[in-house]
Amino acid sequence: SEMSKDLMPGPYPRTPEERAAAAKKYNMRVEDYEPYPDDGFGYGDYPMLPNKSAHERDPWYQWDQPDVRRNWGEPMHWDFDMYIRNRVDTSPTPVPWHTMRKHFLVFLSTMLIMFALGEFYPSYRPVGPKQYPFNDLYLEKGGDPNKEPPVVTHYEI
Amino acid sequence: METTLLLNTSMLLTLMIILTPILLPLLSKSFKNSPALITKTVKTAFLTSLAPMTIFMHSNAESIISHWEWKFIMNFKIPISLKMDQYSMMFFPIALFVTWSILQFATWYMASEPYVTKFFSYLLMFLIAMLTLTIANNMFLLFIGWEGVGIMSFLLIGWWQGRAEANTAALQAVLYNRIGDIGLILSMAWLASTTNTWEIQQTFSTTQTPTLPLLGLILAATGKSAQFGLHPWLPAAMEGPTPVSALLHSSTMVVAGIFLLIRTHPMLTNNQTALTTCLCLGALSTLFAATCALTQNDIKKIIAFSTSSQLGLMMVTIGLNLPQLAFLHISTHAFFKAMLFLCSGSIIHNLNGEQDIRKMGGLQKMLPTTTSCLTIGNLALMGTPFLAGFYSKDLIIENLNISYLNTWALTLTLLATSFTATYTLRMTLMVQTGFTRMTALTPVNENNKTITNPITRLALGSITAGLLITSYIPPTKTPPMTMPTLTKTAAIIVTILGILLALELSNTTHTLTQPKQNTIMNFSSTLGYFNPLTHRLSSTNLLYSGQKLASHLIDLSWYKKMGPEGLADLQTMASKTSTTLHTGLIKTYLSSFALSILIIILST
Repeated sequence: SEMSKDLMPGPYPRTPEERAAAAKKYNMRVEDYEPYPDDGFGYGDYPMLPNKSAHERDPWYQWDQPDVRRNWGEPMHWDFDMYIRNRVDTSPTPVPWHTMRKHFLVFLSTMLIMFALGEFYPSYRPVGPKQYPFNDLYLEKGGDPNKEPPVVTHYEI
Repeated sequence: METTLLLNTSMLLTLMIILTPILLPLLSKSFKNSPALITKTVKTAFLTSLAPMTIFMHSNAESIISHWEWKFIMNFKIPISLKMDQYSMMFFPIALFVTWSILQFATWYMASEPYVTKFFSYLLMFLIAMLTLTIANNMFLLFIGWEGVGIMSFLLIGWWQGRAEANTAALQAVLYNRIGDIGLILSMAWLASTTNTWEIQQTFSTTQTPTLPLLGLILAATGKSAQFGLHPWLPAAMEGPTPVSALLHSSTMVVAGIFLLIRTHPMLTNNQTALTTCLCLGALSTLFAATCALTQNDIKKIIAFSTSSQLGLMMVTIGLNLPQLAFLHISTHAFFKAMLFLCSGSIIHNLNGEQDIRKMGGLQKMLPTTTSCLTIGNLALMGTPFLAGFYSKDLIIENLNISYLNTWALTLTLLATSFTATYTLRMTLMVQTGFTRMTALTPVNENNKTITNPITRLALGSITAGLLITSYIPPTKTPPMTMPTLTKTAAIIVTILGILLALELSNTTHTLTQPKQNTIMNFSSTLGYFNPLTHRLSSTNLLYSGQKLASHLIDLSWYKKMGPEGLADLQTMASKTSTTLHTGLIKTYLSSFALSILIIILST
């Protein structure tokens, strides 16, 4: 059967007595209980738990539900399905976030700039202009057929 | 005429042999599958597939078979057409040989597994999908194989599904492959709408292909072959069992993207933008993966990054407009990479699950066959002259050095080649040499034929495959004939420099004390910070905004505020304002009605 009416989430608690009742309902201490702000988004008196994922909980403790690392009766986060171990990981990184972002962007931008530079200064084997024998294609290049073609030497001894 | 008949028959026979262990249990009640049976099936298929390869080598016969046609709409038909050309006929025996060795190894590795027959059937299904992809002559059949290998990769990486990290890794693999599939579907859509066919022969023309479908193909290859940008799934895929890593993520599945580009290379040939994209992407991938491999401590991750780096090298070869050389590298790479994975599997199982190289050492004396084959594989990977890797890798580097190309791509690839030598030697030194850092009383033993036979077979392949393939298959493009001595020996020199770097670093590890972290080491060991930055940012934003849009925006705003509740609010507001206007003087109202009617009657 369903839960009774007094166990379901209710409206935003306005008085301290309502707060205490809501904290008791959600199985939390009154000091820990902090509802979402009442800005019309429909959270009601649901507690605002810290945005910590299941990765940050002790992997070796004997949880009641080991796969989601939660005990029976513990209040679940509103975005519980986002913070399971297959989804978002909020555990602290060894390097601070802004340092990671900065180093990665420096790496990426350096690579892109160097690739662009490499496009303007490509690498190739040493090449020279094409040389043809006899009079270096004098007639084909539009020289005057009546004049004497100049003598062309492509080498020096 | 008998040649092509023999060719077609033997290829189809190979495919039928492979399909037997999947189909027979469905048709007969008393047929029981077993790992030994599946291994023998793949061995038979390998021996059968040698026939078409020999026919091709002997008489250069190629053929295309068209079976049943799906008459999709009036104008657009999709036949089941299979192309037996150089690439598919060479790939079949190599893939079947490697798979046979891996399956034989897996009978020992997965012996304690409760669902071992299901595991082998999954591997066989994967093999069928991969061979379908290879032999496909139209994009539809290729897409079937493409998706097939993606799904089997998901199922096999998440084989131990009770483990959350394995599930996350399988999810990563499937999502990154999906992003690449967008590119493939884009190019298939362009092909269908512009050239009205999905047959590979009919998509080539001498005129230029627009860049957009080619970028789609390159995106597909980036996803499947783990180039930079869509690469994190490959190291994460090491969560799967070692036979899975050996088969999928080293020899066969990850080369599917490169294979796609090889099949469609005439489209790429004329488009310099696409070729330069391939070149730069490949160069970046190969250097990034090699840099990350330098500081990894898990033996499987080192080999995974090595695979990623070699895939970048294959992409570079495509960018140099040399598809046949890329295929040669695929073939030789399959041998030594699968062997490296099998050796690491043997080491891991013998050390009772230890994968950290900081806890291995001195295995040369305890596992002589395995470590000798590990050395042979590493030498082949580095491009030691006249082993398998040399024939492909050295040719690629030579072609790089004498082509007209982006200088930075050249620099990065040479740097990655030296890093290959460095991390390979680091792995060898820490695993095989030195004093042992294992726990005492580890029962280390490789007296089982099922371990040593596959590994030595693949070692034989690693030594001879390069020579055999290049001796019997003539190149389609003119190879570079002359170059200065420095250019010719560039690959060797760069590799030797890498080896010297590794030796120097291992000396400093033993003699000097280094600080615990420095910037470069942090960058390398956390894989360039790519994983936390992209995974955390994108998934948090997506999931959070999804929740906000689904429940708060849609449910609350559209269904409630625009519907009943909003209407009720407006009505209460209207009634509140109009209530203030009410004064309730009925008599005055009635008399005003009567007065106005009287005036109207009197005025007309």
